[in-house]
Amino acid sequence: MSSFYHKHYTILPNDYFNAGSASSDIKKTLKQLKVSKDIIKKVSVASYEAEINVVIHSFGGSVDLHIVNHTLYLQFTDSGPGIDDIELAMKPGYTTASEISRLNGFGAGMGLVNIKASADEMTLISDPNGTILKLKFFLHTEDANEII
Amino acid sequence: MKLSEIVELFACEVYTKEIYDPHQEINHAFCADLMSDALMILSTVRDTGLLEEAVLVTGLATNQSIRTAEMLDVEVILLVRGKVPASQVIELANESNITLLGTKTTMFNASGQMYAHGVRGITSAQ
Repeated sequence: MSSFYHKHYTILPNDYFNAGSASSDIKKTLKQLKVSKDIIKKVSVASYEAEINVVIHSFGGSVDLHIVNHTLYLQFTDSGPGIDDIELAMKPGYTTASEISRLNGFGAGMGLVNIKASADEMTLISDPNGTILKLKFFLHTEDANEII
Repeated sequence: MKLSEIVELFACEVYTKEIYDPHQEINHAFCADLMSDALMILSTVRDTGLLEEAVLVTGLATNQSIRTAEMLDVEVILLVRGKVPASQVIELANESNITLLGTKTTMFNASGQMYAHGVRGITSAQ
């Protein structure tokens, strides 16, 4: 698969100060690429929630942005400790988040719910060695043409 | 309402003086201390121009309020209940072009008074 746009970001664990900086850059990048506003909004919200999840719950990880043809992909990867029960984690209101994440305005068990609602497709796989969250967003035809 | 009217009404501290525009129109508002709520409701707004005339009213004085506003294209944050942001938070607000205000007024009273001046709440899929 040849991708014509790719960017990689590192996400540090428990770094509430910088949490959101990757998503902020992704948003700026999409603006520069002249992606439509409605798509940017969906991608930004999903990306930010997912980035916060990596900060709150993982030992650290990364996000990769790919734009291939008319599709934008975000892949969040972390190095554990994994999600015990994905079905339960997807339930609105379910959370294992710490007090500090709640003090930062998150950890109410709505992250994955918001992500699923924003993305066109979502795949979540997890074991104790890590979690991979793949998100797919279909761009408008004119957006993709601009990027090419 | 003009932003200057909000500043006057609530005796606001303007933390981002460099980017403060007293003439900026504020016609809509959303209150949340939980950023996921703001992200969930405001991301479904179809009329994106509405968010550019909106204020996020919150008691959360961390970077995450600024990031949330940035993701949603909301340009003004009103910190209520006397919450004071750290200097790094003010710096991020300036960098992100988000006007950051603070007042001692409570969230309910701030909302009620803005409503009386014609500011309306944002609901999902508006």
